[in-house]
Amino acid sequence: MTEICIYAQVHQPFRLRQFRLFDIGTDGEYFDNENNRRLLRRVADKCYLPANRLLADLIRRSNGEFKVALSLSGALLDQLAEWAPDVLESFQDLVDTGGVELLGETYFHSLASLASEEEFVEQVERHRRTIERWFGQRPTVFRNTELIYWDALAPAISRLGFRGVMVEGADHVMGWRSPNHVYQAVTAPELRLLPRNYRLSDDVGFRFSNRDWDGWPLTAPKYADWLASSGGDSLHLFVDYETFGEHQWADTGIFDFLSHLPGECLKRGLKFVHPSRLASRPPVAPLSFERPTSWADLERDTSAWLGNRLQTAAQKRLYGLREAVLRSGDPQRLEQWRRLTTSDHLYYMCTKWFADGDVHKYFSPYESPYDAFIAFMNVAQDLEQSVAALTPAEAEEVDWVHLAGLACVA
Amino acid sequence: MRVLMFGWEFPPFQAGGLATATVGLVKGLLRNRTDVTLVVPFPAEDSPLPQLKLVSADGPSQDQLVVHRIASPMTAYGGATEYQEVFSTIRGKARGSSAVYGADLFQEVERYAGLGGEIASREAHDVIDTHDWITFAAGIAARKVSGKPLVAHIHATEFDRAGAGANPEICHREWEGMTAADRIVANSHALKRICVERYQLPASKIDVVHWGIDGDGFESNQRRETPFAVQTSVRRARKVPIVLFLGRVTWQKGPDYFIEMAGRVAGYLPEAKFIVAGQGDMLPHLVRRSAELGIADRVHFTGGVQGRDVHRLYRMADVCVMPSVSEPFGLVALESLRNGTPCIIPRTAGVAEAITNAFKVDFWDVDAMTDQIVALLRYPELRAELSHNGEAELKGRRFSLEEPARLTTQSYARAMTSSAGSM
Repeated sequence: MTEICIYAQVHQPFRLRQFRLFDIGTDGEYFDNENNRRLLRRVADKCYLPANRLLADLIRRSNGEFKVALSLSGALLDQLAEWAPDVLESFQDLVDTGGVELLGETYFHSLASLASEEEFVEQVERHRRTIERWFGQRPTVFRNTELIYWDALAPAISRLGFRGVMVEGADHVMGWRSPNHVYQAVTAPELRLLPRNYRLSDDVGFRFSNRDWDGWPLTAPKYADWLASSGGDSLHLFVDYETFGEHQWADTGIFDFLSHLPGECLKRGLKFVHPSRLASRPPVAPLSFERPTSWADLERDTSAWLGNRLQTAAQKRLYGLREAVLRSGDPQRLEQWRRLTTSDHLYYMCTKWFADGDVHKYFSPYESPYDAFIAFMNVAQDLEQSVAALTPAEAEEVDWVHLAGLACVA
Repeated sequence: MRVLMFGWEFPPFQAGGLATATVGLVKGLLRNRTDVTLVVPFPAEDSPLPQLKLVSADGPSQDQLVVHRIASPMTAYGGATEYQEVFSTIRGKARGSSAVYGADLFQEVERYAGLGGEIASREAHDVIDTHDWITFAAGIAARKVSGKPLVAHIHATEFDRAGAGANPEICHREWEGMTAADRIVANSHALKRICVERYQLPASKIDVVHWGIDGDGFESNQRRETPFAVQTSVRRARKVPIVLFLGRVTWQKGPDYFIEMAGRVAGYLPEAKFIVAGQGDMLPHLVRRSAELGIADRVHFTGGVQGRDVHRLYRMADVCVMPSVSEPFGLVALESLRNGTPCIIPRTAGVAEAITNAFKVDFWDVDAMTDQIVALLRYPELRAELSHNGEAELKGRRFSLEEPARLTTQSYARAMTSSAGSM
């Protein structure tokens, strides 16, 4: 009998404002809070609130037989707490139904796993503390930002106390094997891997409203038939939570689809299962990820965030600042720095526009990836100067630089 | 299919983008195996392209060089005024009888038009193509004689060149030519909008064809030039960053915004150099203004630049800035990118519709330009990324010469259909 494991990612970044050269050294705000607040409200009204209500209702109506997993980034939770406490409550109500398992991730939805293990561990632990505090649940299954995973990361995840990891069931990794089983990490044998079935996941996440797709229109009975005939032990269906109402608008019928899905699945003898439950099952085989693999784009690698010169320069600049920011001992500056680690900032600098890049364009607040780079680097420059000014040993040197700049302007 | 095309500028006789656009279209058409007979207002003994039949509207006398020179300065404040100034200067230099030429630009255009009918009667053709108002009358005259369909290419309107100072007579002739034409080809959607809104032409009659660029003149990995290197030691030289403005130094091209931006950039990067390449009536103002800003030693005015030197300039520069107030298309952006030089273009320029890998700004937004230029000069990664992606984009098929020529041929076909329908 096949089990179904549904997980949805919930995340919003703190987008930067158009931070200009002239803003450097003026103690200006980095983040476009006006816009962030507006976008949060929009996605909450279109997606989070209606989807939360629907899921809670489905869980109750099925007497807990319908189960899902969510992963809420810390950046999202911070924004909800500040600007939309009603939405945070709605998530808490949903979790209170008992049908929702929460996953662990990096607090800032960052790429720290690729840059600094120390930072990675700090962000994961902070996220876990926050989830425990607000939802009374301790995550035991992990999902890294954008499902980025490779063999060398497994020991760190295992040491953090997780028993399972969500991974991308990419063709180059799976080969002839099916993603519909629980696998084992080669570098941490006690760690279970749950590979995403990207075809079935993307049928909902990407193709649902595509009228050129031969599966259109996708109905709950049709999709349940596909699930029932997929074979394997468990189907791992991972999508963005924003699929429901934001990427796929309500008028595409996405909510209607979702509301009928549990009943249609149960009717066909399929069962729903939480990831932690699967992580306690014996694995069918070890599975090796030689290089970092993600769920993004056609390449399924990290090139959406670190694929060009702008992105690698920005990432290097950012992590090059970490020591100085920590040394300054200023909690506000450290928080600003951590918000800059959110992967979206690098995503906006992606130049793969023409093939599958248009999805990037849709989410970017910038006119071009080049503008995104400039705003980010200006902010990094400002942050560097301000933490240097806070660090006594270097204060004098910084003043000279600053004065030289002023002299030039004059 | 043979096109009878009325041009005005054609290399080596050129003053601006019209010549580049015309030769580009002609080359593209020839490569696509469309035959072209090009009529030019200056003497032409040999065609620069083997398959092109070049017909001069005049005899072979060397004196007639004056016709081209006169026609060229379509500058900001009314083409006609400028014409008279240049005409009187050149008449003094020209040998022989220049009395046969009209005393002002309109008479010159009329004279060219008068010859249009005669040429149409002796040159076989299937369709007539014209380029901007100066050739429209010739095209109309040709159609009267041959009855073949007429296409009006519009590269820029008088509103683009002169803004509020538009010459009403020129506007009228633009309207007349485009109204008479069976089909209009505009080089951007922006220009098409102007034709619809300012000239009340039906949108359904206008096709948009973005220009391409000839890849022939470019070799890959062309050496970049470093004219202002600073010798930091005996062996090492550091390249001085260069910001380039290339175009007519007139109101339309916004060179004054370039100088204001230079003043601001110099505050951040005192070693940066600024090159203004081009001629025009705003030069004295720019020289004065750069002295006021205290950057006179960092701004270089090269005057008009031709041929290979244009490409050398692009390859010297780290960034090319086009702050045009009005830019129906903007071939400079294509040339810059094709040379691997990142560029900043006005959001409203026609070329902004076509290219992705460039900074797009409001021409008046000196702050935004300064921010972008300082970042470009500071971060080699940004330069490399824009340069690489821009060049790659420009090598794509849509920026070839064949693609705009193919689309233009479709417009010819539409002109034939609509012309047949109206008869």
